[in-house]
Amino acid sequence: MKPRVAFFDFTGCEGCQLEVLNFNLEIVDLIGAVDIVEFREASSDHSDDYDIAFIEGSQTTDRDVERVQKIREKAKILVALGACSCTGGVNALKNRFSMEENLKVVYGDSAKLYSTIPTRPTSAYVKVDVQIHGCPPNRNEVISLVKCLLTGKKFEQCHNPVCVECKLAENICAFERGEFCLGPITRGGCNAVCVTGGRKCWGCRALVDEPNVNSEKEILKKYGLTMDDMMLQFKLFNGALEVSK
Amino acid sequence: MVMQLTAKQSIHLPRTAELIRVEKLSDREKVFEFKFDDGKELGQKPGQFVEVSIFGVGEAPISVTSSPTHKGSFELAVRATGGVTNKLHTLDKGAKVGIRGPYGNGFPLDTLKGKDILFVAGGIGLFPLRSLINYVMDKRSDFGEVNTLFGCRSPQERLFIGQLAEWDKSKDMCFLETVDRVPDDEWKGNVGVITTLFPKISFDPKKTYAIVVGPPIMYRFVIAECLKKGLADDHIIMSLERRMKCGVGKCGHCQINGLYCCQEGPVFTYAQVKSLKEAV
Amino acid sequence: MQNRVISRKDLASFVDDLIKTKSAGEVIGIKAQGNKFNFGPLASAAELRLDYDISLLPPKKYFFPQTETVLKYEVGKTPKVEAVAAEKPLCIIGVHPFDIRGLLLFDAVYGGKEPDPNYFLKRNKAIIIGVDCLSPNPKSFAASMGTNITEEGFDLMLTDLGGDYFVTVGTNKGHNLINKAKTREAGAPDLEKRDKVRKEAEKKYQVSLKMKKEEIPALLDATWESKLFKDRSETCFSCGSCVMVCPTCVCFDVQDEMALSLKGGERYRRWDGCMLTEFASVASGENFREHKEQRFRHRMYRKGKYLVERYKYLGCVGCGRCASACLAEIASPAETYNLLKEAK
Ligand SMILES: Cc1cc2nc3c(=O)[nH]c(=O)nc-3n(C[C@H](O)[C@H](O)[C@H](O)COP(=O)(O)OP(=O)(O)OC[C@H]3O[C@@H](n4cnc5c(N)ncnc54)[C@H](O)[C@@H]3O)c2cc1C
Ligand code: SF4
Ligand code: SF4
Ligand code: SF4
Ligand code: SF4
Ligand code: SF4
Ligand code: FES
Repeated sequence: MKPRVAFFDFTGCEGCQLEVLNFNLEIVDLIGAVDIVEFREASSDHSDDYDIAFIEGSQTTDRDVERVQKIREKAKILVALGACSCTGGVNALKNRFSMEENLKVVYGDSAKLYSTIPTRPTSAYVKVDVQIHGCPPNRNEVISLVKCLLTGKKFEQCHNPVCVECKLAENICAFERGEFCLGPITRGGCNAVCVTGGRKCWGCRALVDEPNVNSEKEILKKYGLTMDDMMLQFKLFNGALEVSK
Repeated sequence: MVMQLTAKQSIHLPRTAELIRVEKLSDREKVFEFKFDDGKELGQKPGQFVEVSIFGVGEAPISVTSSPTHKGSFELAVRATGGVTNKLHTLDKGAKVGIRGPYGNGFPLDTLKGKDILFVAGGIGLFPLRSLINYVMDKRSDFGEVNTLFGCRSPQERLFIGQLAEWDKSKDMCFLETVDRVPDDEWKGNVGVITTLFPKISFDPKKTYAIVVGPPIMYRFVIAECLKKGLADDHIIMSLERRMKCGVGKCGHCQINGLYCCQEGPVFTYAQVKSLKEAV
Repeated sequence: MQNRVISRKDLASFVDDLIKTKSAGEVIGIKAQGNKFNFGPLASAAELRLDYDISLLPPKKYFFPQTETVLKYEVGKTPKVEAVAAEKPLCIIGVHPFDIRGLLLFDAVYGGKEPDPNYFLKRNKAIIIGVDCLSPNPKSFAASMGTNITEEGFDLMLTDLGGDYFVTVGTNKGHNLINKAKTREAGAPDLEKRDKVRKEAEKKYQVSLKMKKEEIPALLDATWESKLFKDRSETCFSCGSCVMVCPTCVCFDVQDEMALSLKGGERYRRWDGCMLTEFASVASGENFREHKEQRFRHRMYRKGKYLVERYKYLGCVGCGRCASACLAEIASPAETYNLLKEAK
């Protein structure tokens, strides 16, 4: 039987969803070896069986948490897809403001009627088997993962900082353009697309295994930037992660 | 520099071989017997290794565990630890893999000829060592006294049990084994780390070569024991493990200081290892 | 083989001719990329920037590409495997002497007992037109490594004499090639001028070794335990930039990738390097160079000792690319050796 693959939306940003739609098309068209079952409604979660569950977006309410726990029970393999699910992503920005403040901003005076919990990565609630980082996640990496799952090969995430792929792409280093870049402490696997596209790395794929955050700080200083500049950028995607001060 | 080459001479190109027998050794280890599709021999020396390919997954360096005295096929004994080795464990008889090699220097047969030998194997260190033990047993008259020590963590992790029993019974060698710990009381043998076997054997350090293969931490203790017994540095021979991606001295992964484990190794003397700061 | 002198204009038409006729293969040249330089396919001689300091990546990428497919296979009951390696005639214009020395080391590593067809099928066909480096990079120390000039490894070598270029002819291939251009025979005064230009360029190097390069192996022999390796590598990102940009770094990783059909796939190799955390780790969990200081030290030994002992060619040609690429400003072998010597 073909493995059944399911995608579950939680709180995420548009980019991720678009990218996921593209994955679906590509995987269905080209592999034809998996069945994609997509769930939009929480109620239909238990109506079917699935082998591989992709969790996209972060869990921001108690209901989300319950839902992701139910999915975990059913799925043989649970994949956190994208920065939001892996690290909390942009959603985790709200951790930096108090919860009450958030509710007020979003719901105004009716805030009391709603509850919201701090945004944490999916792994804070359930066991995550594989993380596919990035905002949006790298399509080739998802395809590579599905191929691994189908052929029984172990999926390895990239252990190198973004700089490796950035050098292979023959880019001029962002620092040489007077900009600061989080590439040296960010997990690669994206082919350094942002630098190749003329920008810099924002750290959307979270920290490498042995990030030298202190050294990054030193270099920022050299370039006349402050830690706050960096933290702001880094928190944009990795808000829920603790970066050592 | 002009070198006339064709793609067919690619350093990456394996020959295909068929799996003709699989046997479970323990929970994590199996032995696989292969035959080349082109009918040729592997032609290895004891202690050499091959690169095994599972197409679509990758390659892994694995020692040949059978002796070259065994013709027509060869054996690889493998612990399931990652991509290639796990996949290998799912294969059945009839499956095809790719094989490159044999690579590496192998054990120094010329040096060992006519000498007494002390084999010391820890855990799956027995896999590479077995090729030489079987070789020596098949050409028994070429060698002097043979002592063999084998240690593993628990009775469940013993490997090639049938062969251990044969060696135990054999008059051609003195065989001792031990396990680190015993979870049940069925085990009647020695308990303790492998160095506890040393007082139970005697050998002439002048005529003896010790061949030691095991995990990195075992080396330190066993070498100290060998030295205590009076073995010279170049009479202690070991086989080292490193990450490998090519087997032919190109990829750089297997470097131990200035040496390449796949070229000058994997077999080194303690005299060599002593001068290599990164070896053990 | 008679050396020649060629005017700027005639050199341009010589190059344009090469591009048009493809008689020497695809023409690659040194070009501007932003405010840096890099090798790339040449559309016209006007793109050539023979006055450059260093290229982003060394020309090794043409013989040992960043990523290269080495096998194609079909899986199934009887897998079919085929090696992938093809000839590709190239003419590379503007290679500096130190990068030529880097290629000579590559020849030694990729040759030997088991030569690599993927490398040599491309390398053998290549024509190398070098150019002397007259405006060295501020981080370069090629003069100290004796690699600012080379007597071997090129078909033609250009030296900018101001108005004209001196053409040192290195091989018959080069001789036949330059014969097609409008040149004049080089005389003794031209040769004198070339040597003077080279001497002057040598003075422009801002970084130098405080020892003879032959003394580096012995220095390293005596300093394995030095605290400097730990101190200096404290800020290392393990980002691998220093080894990715290096003309003498030869290391690679090998990976398999299945096609989407899952019926087959390919095996490819990709640049890898000893400064990266996983380079020496094995499946059992052991990492033989676990700490960044061990990796940092290993690279310094590779460059200054291991490679030269193994292959007779220097493991560092002093181009300065690593030092330019290293954000932590620690990667320069020359600086490290100088500090080691001072600390001794
Ligand atoms: C000379 C030599 C002989 C060996 N003999 C045996 C043997 O007889 N039996 C046995 O079970 N194991 C042996 N090993 C260890 C075996 O090579 C590794 O367990 C195996 O490479 C793991 O590969 P993997 O793809 O399953 O694991 P992964 O973790 O998926 O490894 C990925 C890749 O990294 C490299 N790699 C990882 N670990 C090692 C390692 N320990 N050594 C070299 N490369 C590594 C390989 O290229 C491997 O394919 C030997 C290793 C060496 C160097
Ligand atoms: S631009 Fe960023 S990722 Fe690229 S090399 Fe520079 S620091 Fe590294
Ligand atoms: S370059 Fe940085 S920000 Fe861009 S995709 Fe890669 S990790 Fe994310
Ligand atoms: S080590 Fe640095 S200076 Fe030396 S050749 Fe490599 S990149 Fe150039
Ligand atoms: S310095 Fe490191 S990456 Fe470069 S060739 Fe040597 S071992 Fe390989
Ligand atoms: S020495 Fe510099 S370039 Fe090299 S890995 Fe360390 S930080 Fe990166
Ligand atoms: S395994 Fe590639 S150099 Fe030894």
